[in-house]
Amino acid sequence: MNTKSIWLKGLQSLLTSSVPQCLICGKHRQASSQLPSICVNCAAAIPWIVSPRCLKCGRHVGCPDCNRGGETSPIICNRSAVAYNSVMREMLGQYKYRGNERYSALLGLMLDRAYLILKEEREKEQRVQRSSPHSTISSFFQNKRAASGILWQADLLVPVPVSDSQLEERGFNQAERLADVVSQRRGIPQLPLLVRKHHTGKQSFKGRAERLADMKHAFAASPAMIELFPNWLGAMKPMDRPLQIIIIDDIYTTGSTLRACAEVIQQMTEAYRYDVEIYSLTWARS
Amino acid sequence: MKVAVYAVKENRGWSLWISLNLAVDRLWWSGALGGSKGWNSRAVSMVILATSLPLGWAVKLRDSFKSRTSMQAWGNMEWRDYIARELAPEVQEEMATGGRGGWSHNEGSLCQPVLNGWTSIELMEDGHERQENIFGATLDHLSHQEDLERLNLALAAEQLAGALAGRSLLQPELEAMLAEQLPNLSGDWRSTAQLVHLQGRLVLTAGILATTERKDGATAWLSRVAMPWRGFAKRRVLPRCQRCGSVATGHTACAACGLMGCAYCEACLALGRSRACALLLRSAALPAVRCTAGSAPTAARRWGLSAAQAGAVSAALGFLAEPRQRSAGQGPERFLLWAVTGAGKTEMVFPLLEAVLAAGGRALIATPRRDVVLELAPRLAKAFPAETLAVLYGGSPDRWVSGRLTLATTHQLLRFNQGFDLVIIDELDAYPYHNDPMLAYAAGQASKKDGSFLFLSATPPKEMQREANSGRLPHAKVPVRFHGQPLPVPLHLTIIPVRIFLKRGTLPKSLTQVLRRSLAREAQIFLFVSRIAHIAGLIKLLRQSFPEVAIEGTSSQDPARAEKVAAFRSRIISLLVTTTILERGVTVPRSDVFILDADSGLFDEASLVQMAGRAGRSKDDPAGTVVFASPQWSRSQRGAISHIRAMNGNAQRNGYISRKSSL
Repeated sequence: MNTKSIWLKGLQSLLTSSVPQCLICGKHRQASSQLPSICVNCAAAIPWIVSPRCLKCGRHVGCPDCNRGGETSPIICNRSAVAYNSVMREMLGQYKYRGNERYSALLGLMLDRAYLILKEEREKEQRVQRSSPHSTISSFFQNKRAASGILWQADLLVPVPVSDSQLEERGFNQAERLADVVSQRRGIPQLPLLVRKHHTGKQSFKGRAERLADMKHAFAASPAMIELFPNWLGAMKPMDRPLQIIIIDDIYTTGSTLRACAEVIQQMTEAYRYDVEIYSLTWARS
Repeated sequence: MKVAVYAVKENRGWSLWISLNLAVDRLWWSGALGGSKGWNSRAVSMVILATSLPLGWAVKLRDSFKSRTSMQAWGNMEWRDYIARELAPEVQEEMATGGRGGWSHNEGSLCQPVLNGWTSIELMEDGHERQENIFGATLDHLSHQEDLERLNLALAAEQLAGALAGRSLLQPELEAMLAEQLPNLSGDWRSTAQLVHLQGRLVLTAGILATTERKDGATAWLSRVAMPWRGFAKRRVLPRCQRCGSVATGHTACAACGLMGCAYCEACLALGRSRACALLLRSAALPAVRCTAGSAPTAARRWGLSAAQAGAVSAALGFLAEPRQRSAGQGPERFLLWAVTGAGKTEMVFPLLEAVLAAGGRALIATPRRDVVLELAPRLAKAFPAETLAVLYGGSPDRWVSGRLTLATTHQLLRFNQGFDLVIIDELDAYPYHNDPMLAYAAGQASKKDGSFLFLSATPPKEMQREANSGRLPHAKVPVRFHGQPLPVPLHLTIIPVRIFLKRGTLPKSLTQVLRRSLAREAQIFLFVSRIAHIAGLIKLLRQSFPEVAIEGTSSQDPARAEKVAAFRSRIISLLVTTTILERGVTVPRSDVFILDADSGLFDEASLVQMAGRAGRSKDDPAGTVVFASPQWSRSQRGAISHIRAMNGNAQRNGYISRKSSL
């Protein structure tokens, strides 16, 4: 590089507007207002799940798995931020397998939107529940007051763990990083309650039945939580409702991972005689 | 990852090592493994400084280590202070990012077995360990079993050293390679790699290291003038990716090394993540082979070269055979093969490859595009049937094949370290190299220090043209096409800008006239535009004016691009509207070239010459038409035309132009 071109470069950098570079397409374009790290075009391509078709698993299309019934799930419902299409697959690949950790904040913000949707749904439902029985005039006013004050908030976020060997290889647990963002924005504590006992291999290479069988005993209570979890429970204010715990993961495919985690969490809370409502929140729903 | 760090004292003095498996190091320094290599200086003393230190820190300790005589008397206090001093900036930075940061919390269990030769072991209270080698190694009392294990380890080391020769791989890449190529080694590769490292045949380092900025002459001078307040000799220390040379910009918490601020490289993520605690294994430098000066006439006959090609090849062969005194310590020598579009560059490469292979060397051809790799691979395999050819591109099945002849896309160069005697870089000025310091770095790493670089280009960068013309860069010009006809000289057509006539909805009459003339002679027409947005509108107007002609358009955003190009080649489509994506590598017989808005800033001289080079490439129709259509002349257009004229003149003077057309 010669002197002239260095000067020209310097001048150019002064003259070009400071439009930020999009994380996904790399172009300098107007940033999206909701997701500041990407441009408006890339933001427009995100297949948000605003109102899920399947109220159980949060799927954007009709869901044969949930209609099949038979499986009793410990999870009340799942909500996901986006439908898993090829654009989203590329995005998750960049983050999880390539290791571009700049995506942490972006995917976390997206997950946060799913949290808000879940929260709104729960609040609406509680409002309906409270206002439906005996509607005398006095209780109507009471309920109105109570209903407006309804605020649903999760008590705890639990990330789905990855195995030690995967953690070593990847350097981070994507579910934990996503949960971090929601935790910070919403002021909900996060505890890694679980560990993955054995490495189940890449889920993406397996069929549905295989995944379900694999998952049965994949998770256990984390030894580090033997003291921490009861401490945390003890520090909670006494409540007249069950605990509300959200399990966080990057993607919901068959839901077997999340169900297996939920079962362990249920056992843990039962051991301390707490009632629990378990929800799950994932970044994508396939 | 985390590794162990220890210091050993030999007769020459102290040295510091990192270890993937201390057991191997103990054996090595006891002298038990070195028999075959003529090992004779056993370590006198060995101090284990840490058993699990983040790799980046361990490598820093090792690379900055200098032996001092006083070290002999050091106890654990002194060693601990030494490490604390050396790692102070790292620890400070780690604390600042919120880490607990410290090497002191690694007092692991150090109760490893005392191996033969190490007769006293002294465990220091805070995790340091000193061993005194009093009697030296005696192999007599070794059991047969242990002996066999050692032999196996030594054999495995031979295999691994062979597989890694000339390579630069990150740990996951090594694991993938072993799983595919040497599954017997994939179990305990750490021990094997450690032994190869101790033997001096493998460099173990971290993916990212802090390095002091090196500045070349011009930049250093400028920074002094432009930024005097920064101080004269102040040099910045930046974390750089050891694989691709980029400055690492990302810092995140890392579960593998336990640090809060573990740096990673964002530039070469596509080949697997390089980070401060990622193990990078690079083979040690090997000396390059020297080719014997081949005879050019033989080569010309064997490979069917024209006179102009043979001349250039003979110059290049001479360059390869030349002894390398003047470049001692300055890296590989460079040679530019400056051959016009359609000169038959590929054919000229064959004799050069043959010369290097015959001398027992290894050669690499790097080209920017995957299509070129796929097209060239069968031709190379046919030309050199006896050689294993490794064909590398993203997702290629040969990924871990090691061949003396390697054909790769440019990014694959990052996986090599001083592995080749000859590195041929095709289309030097094309997209991936152009303005990408990462690929320049990778190319520099791939060649042996005393090897050679051969650049192939029709339009070398200005800087290189100057070097060649002033004689600083050895080069050979091939000013004529393989068919011996001059290059078509572009004509200029003054028309209004595309943007305006698209708005008006009519094609300029002068443009339709020249197009009609080309269609009348049944030529295939390339119509280049500067913007993708113009393609659709232009196709509409063209179809109105020429309803009987098959007209299509394609661009980088067109998923059906490959099919359209194929259809154009096979004359199903006769007029193709496109952008600079087709400026190179596409050969269509009997073609004419039209460049609209040729004064656009997006077309530089090189790309105009390349586009013009699409015309008249076949023997049957050597005189295609090239038209630069624009409202005004520009420097690039004049430059391109004078470039083409100069090449034609050069060919004429050298008598390369065939008689019948020189009129």
